[in-house]
Parts: sequence; structure tokens; C-alpha cells
Amino acid sequence: MRAGTTRILAGLNYLYLLAMMAVIAGILTTAMTLQYAYGELPCPLCLLQRVALFGVCFGIMLNFRNGFSSRNTGFSLLFAIFLLVVSVRQSLLDIYPRPGHEYIGSAVLGIHMPVWSIIIALALLIAYALKLAVLGGDDHLREADARTFPIIHRLAGILSIYVIALCLINLVSVVVQCGFGQCHTFNYQLLQ
Amino acid sequence: MMVVVFASMLLAFVFGWFGPRWMAITMLAACLIASLGLFLFEVYSPEYGFRMPWIQTELEGQPMPAQGS
Repeated sequence: MRAGTTRILAGLNYLYLLAMMAVIAGILTTAMTLQYAYGELPCPLCLLQRVALFGVCFGIMLNFRNGFSSRNTGFSLLFAIFLLVVSVRQSLLDIYPRPGHEYIGSAVLGIHMPVWSIIIALALLIAYALKLAVLGGDDHLREADARTFPIIHRLAGILSIYVIALCLINLVSVVVQCGFGQCHTFNYQLLQ
Repeated sequence: MMVVVFASMLLAFVFGWFGPRWMAITMLAACLIASLGLFLFEVYSPEYGFRMPWIQTELEGQPMPAQGS
């Protein structure tokens, strides 16, 4: 493959990964806005879905930070599958109306959070599949490090720090909500 | 337990950023294992176990006992 084509493919790959991380950061920000601005406490399975989204970001961040590796893609895919499993199970828990079981939180565009999570997980898996199918394997990514694309690399750095900050805020929030025991959606345990 | 999950994820990010990389991956693995354990704990019901009888159509028309899980 010519050097020019290799570089274009590598650039598109990094741009694609950056866009994926930006979308996930947006989703996490929206979830936290709903929590802090509208007082919708996340349930334990909701928090696990956030962890899964952070896990997907972790794999992408390592690709920018330490150079491309298929292993990092594997980490992201593992957490995308975990997100799918948790969200499907949560949707099935609440799909049949019965006492004590209903979808938690308000609907966004008529769809509740666990169902959105299924859509997001499927979108992530499809996005990775499309990236591999259309933009190809990782040969050109190994040849062209992310640092050779300064703008994309700088944006990825800023976005990574933002995601790490979101993770830190979530950790503090979990400590306040759950303490060191089991999580409940009634109130913030440490603010009692 | 949820605190352990988020703390290990945060540590994975921090080690992923500053290194060493093996520590980041160890923390990520710890986070995934703790998450899986917590997920199984959360969905387990003393009455139904891991089953979900409310979505089995063979029970259609039969009264469902109230339960909280």
C-alpha cells in the first residue's frame, strides 16, 4: 500500500476513534446531568453501565496514549459486550409491569435509559465492526502513530482528561450515594 | 462494592495515562471482574434465582406473586 494511502487510512481511523470517545463522553455527561440537575439517582445496574462506557473509553485512550494495539480494541469490545449484557438484563427485569418493577428515571425521546443502553451498546459494536470492515486492519495504524496527527492527538488528550475527570466525579458520587455498602436509589446515603 | 468498581476503573485510567501499562491492565481486569460479580449479585433474586419467570409466556394468565429484587 502506498505511504499516502496508509497515512489517510490511519488518520481516518484515529478520527473515528476520537469521534467514538466524544460520543461516549457526551452520553456520560448527559447521564450525570440527569442525575445532578434533575435528581434522578442511578440504580446499581445503571452505574455498571457507566462503568462499561468508561471501559470502552479506556481502550480508545490507550490507543492514543501508548500507540495502537489490537489488545486495546479488545478491551473496548469486552466492555461494549458487558454493556449490552447488563442493559438487556435490566430491560428484561422491567419489561413486564409488576409491583416494585418499573423503568427507572424519565424517558428520553420516549425511550427509557436501559433501552437506550442497548441501542448504545449495539451502536458501539456496529461502529467497531464498520471500522474494521471499511477502514481495514491495524497495519497502517502501527506504521503511523497517533502523535503524527498533532491536532487529533491533542484533542484526544483533552477528551481523555475529560473522561478521567468524569470517572473521578462518578467515584465521589458513588461514595456519597452508596457509601461502602450496597447501592440504593432512595437517597444519597452520606447526605442523610 | 460499587466503590471498588469505580476506584479500580479510575486507577486503570490513571495508570493508563502515567504508566506502567501492566498496572493499568491489571486494574482494568480487576474492575471487570468486580463488575461481573456485582452484576450477578444485583440480578440474583432469592425467589427466582437468575430465572425471569415474568417473561415466560407459559405463565400467561396466571397471577404473578409480588416480589422485590
